[in-house]
Amino acid sequence: MKRTLFLLILTVVFSSFFLSAAYGQVQVRLRVIRASSVGQSFDPSLRDVRNELGSLFSFTSYHLLGDENLNLTLNRPVSISAHEGRIVLETTLVGLNRGVAEVRMRVVRGGTEILNTRVRLSPGRTVLIGGPRVREAVIIYALHARF
Amino acid sequence: MKDSCSSVTKLLEKYFDQEVTDKERFLVEGHLQDCLVCRNALRSMEELRTLIKVPVEKAVQKEDFPWVWQKIEREIRSTQEKLTWWQFLRSRLDVSPLFKKKVWIPAVATVAVLLFLTAQIVFEKTPSYTDASVVDYVESQTDNVMVYQLEKPKVTVIWLFEGPEKDQTTS
Repeated sequence: MKRTLFLLILTVVFSSFFLSAAYGQVQVRLRVIRASSVGQSFDPSLRDVRNELGSLFSFTSYHLLGDENLNLTLNRPVSISAHEGRIVLETTLVGLNRGVAEVRMRVVRGGTEILNTRVRLSPGRTVLIGGPRVREAVIIYALHARF
Repeated sequence: MKDSCSSVTKLLEKYFDQEVTDKERFLVEGHLQDCLVCRNALRSMEELRTLIKVPVEKAVQKEDFPWVWQKIEREIRSTQEKLTWWQFLRSRLDVSPLFKKKVWIPAVATVAVLLFLTAQIVFEKTPSYTDASVVDYVESQTDNVMVYQLEKPKVTVIWLFEGPEKDQTTS
């Protein structure tokens, strides 16, 4: 009986340890894509999202500019720059609720905020934020949950 | 008579310990009435028992049993203290008692009942965050924004209709 109790306590302690470690932090994959209607090329590293991009947009060229695994911690913004630092995406985890991460995303161009949004990111969902122009192309940010 | 005496002698100890059958007792008691040797042998056994019984009873009366028990407990404790932390942990983590039928059968039954009771709650289709809108809010001070949400595949698009890049227009 004492041994069973001991094992039970041990399980609870370990579970609470892992839960506390997991709480307040999520991992997301952020890909920065440059899309344009000039030429016809498709970056091979984007082939897993080829169908999604092809069905949603009418661009003919897609090029991967960056692929980052971000460890988001509550209320700690993480910034990713594109187009030689002229466009910055600031990503902040603002909440975690029932396995869904609430992420605030701000796109800043030259110090001016051009987009501010908050999304709920759940496992298996991809959020695409696109539109910021880079000469004849646009930037698309693909955010994917990894938890 | 001699034969009878030798056969009763074998039964005499059993008779003394009251372990004989009725038939044997009848035989022994019948023989004892006629045989002095066997009567003396029985008396010797009784004297011997008295000799042993009296000192043992006196010793038991003198003995302090709570103190003896304390001593035993102390011995057990000192044996346990000699275990290393690893041995102690191993002894504590030994899950073999859990595989006993009297443990795992009630445990499995309890889990089955709990699963049955909670299944409806767990699998009940309730609106969740994943079913609801993914975008809480979106705003832009400079351009128009469109939100497009697909469920298959699970993709949400937030599109900013930005005008031509300023750097490009100025150059």
